[in-house]
Amino acid sequence: MIEAAARTTPDAATRGRLWRKIARRPVGIFAFAVLAAILLAVTFGPSLVPHSPTRTNARAILQPPSAEHWLGTDELGRDVFARVLSGGRVSMAVGLFSMLVGLSLGLAIGGTAGYFGGRVEGVLMRLVDAFMAIPTFFLILVIVTSFGNHPVTIIITVGLGFWAQMARVGHAEFKRFRNHEFVEASRALGGTHARVMTRHILPQVLPQATVLATLGVGWAILTEAALSYLGLGIQPPLASWGNMLQNAQGYLWRAPVLAVWPGLFIAVTVLSFNLLGNALRDVLDPRA
Amino acid sequence: MIEYVARRLAQGVFVLFLVSLLTFFLINLAPGGPSSLIDFQSTAAEREARMRQYGLDRPVQERYLTWLAGAVRGDLGRSINQGLPVSRLLAQRLPITLTLGGTALVLAALFGIVLGVTAALQRDRWPDHLIGSVATLGMSTPSFWLGILAIIVFAVNFGWLPAAGNASIGRAFDLGDRLRHLVLPAGVLAFSLMPNVIRTTRAAVLETRAADYVRTARAKGLVERVVLVKHTMRNALVPVVAMLGLIATVLFSGSVVIESVFGWAGVGRLAIEAANGRDYPVILGVTLLAGTIVVTVNLLVDLLYAVIDPRIRHD
Repeated sequence: MIEAAARTTPDAATRGRLWRKIARRPVGIFAFAVLAAILLAVTFGPSLVPHSPTRTNARAILQPPSAEHWLGTDELGRDVFARVLSGGRVSMAVGLFSMLVGLSLGLAIGGTAGYFGGRVEGVLMRLVDAFMAIPTFFLILVIVTSFGNHPVTIIITVGLGFWAQMARVGHAEFKRFRNHEFVEASRALGGTHARVMTRHILPQVLPQATVLATLGVGWAILTEAALSYLGLGIQPPLASWGNMLQNAQGYLWRAPVLAVWPGLFIAVTVLSFNLLGNALRDVLDPRA
Repeated sequence: MIEYVARRLAQGVFVLFLVSLLTFFLINLAPGGPSSLIDFQSTAAEREARMRQYGLDRPVQERYLTWLAGAVRGDLGRSINQGLPVSRLLAQRLPITLTLGGTALVLAALFGIVLGVTAALQRDRWPDHLIGSVATLGMSTPSFWLGILAIIVFAVNFGWLPAAGNASIGRAFDLGDRLRHLVLPAGVLAFSLMPNVIRTTRAAVLETRAADYVRTARAKGLVERVVLVKHTMRNALVPVVAMLGLIATVLFSGSVVIESVFGWAGVGRLAIEAANGRDYPVILGVTLLAGTIVVTVNLLVDLLYAVIDPRIRHD
């Protein structure tokens, strides 16, 4: 009984209210639609475009947009449209997975610190402070230098740049809920700490985590792009929006338009994540 | 007060110690760590000699202690690729980064606060929406892309401003020339920092404007300008200063990217060169420098609170 009451299952009425709230945020819905379109395009697009993103063509370098090459070709004669799509696949994947890494690590460590308090809290939160004192980008530099730039490493690294912030939120939220009656009730019924944390407190924290996660994906995409732009992230010939920009900078005087497309895609994608995040905050987080 | 400062300093030193420990062991225990600088084309004797030169023949905890003992005295070791002491490299590059970062911070604070206050005073009217959109846009646009676009527009198309470097090569010091080189990088960096300042200022002003003492000030007939400057702004400044402190951290990360876009030979560029060249002592030194600055700025910000808001006491 108490178990069931403790769990937050929104009934039909609250769900209806939620939908009405969402419907009043056209910007959020629009952003969501844009993201869905981009996600579809980068998932299925590369196999629909007749050009390979990596095949070079010495007879068609730096061409302007045409019916054949929608966004023209780059310095090696590769189709820019195909590259933007397959680069987007990489950027999106890195963004989403690094957010998951940062979110789960942050919630786990911050949540543990907040839930148990005392010495555990002291040690873990000092660790978080130390992480926060290293400017994120330097931390990422150190890790990438030491562990190389395999895409999986990049995902974990970018996620690590984000976990300390999540840990602070997780810490505050778990601390807020740990003395609530539903926690006590579950403990009294024999629930383990792990069960209380994952089954009872975590659902309470989810709305706020969703908002932060949405904004976090945008941040992760920006960070990956910056890393790849600096030559430390995704390596050519694999395209990513960041390393396309790095290439383009060498041809600013001959083909400035090369630098426009990848950046535009980054900006639109990140903007959509930010707008969606803000809309979600308005809907899900009553305290903000 | 003095006791507070001492305690905070001790905490700061401890955090820096953790930072150095973390960085040192991350670098040294990684599969691509310093030992990989020994290539296999050299003879065994050469390799051994090089290992000894960089002290890599000793266990990692011993190397850390040696490094730490040096670092405490300001000796951060030598760069593997450039052969120079790391501390001298940092001293050479730091002024360039500080010029860029400092200018950007001032610009971001100035425009950010003005726009944030305007947005708050014009709440829910078109200036507020416009400023809010600019802030969201600024947060979402990659700064290096903005930098590249700025180069295309102002350097390539119009030829008004130089595309790279912090001074014309081979020319004696010339303030006008320096400033012309500073405009684009500092402007772009400031634009990418501004959104945070705008948001914080807007929220802080809106919150203080709803306070009772502001209503009292109006009720006793004070001019709106006085209410705004003396009652609202002074109190709204606390969170804004906190924000600026946080920005100092972001500033470093932003500077790494912007220095690369515009070819500035600052600390950020040094870090990238070191990362690409696996120059471990330099990476370690740069990270420690960045950490030191962040810790110092945070302490200064906390002390500044007490100046702005006399109710905040550090006992």
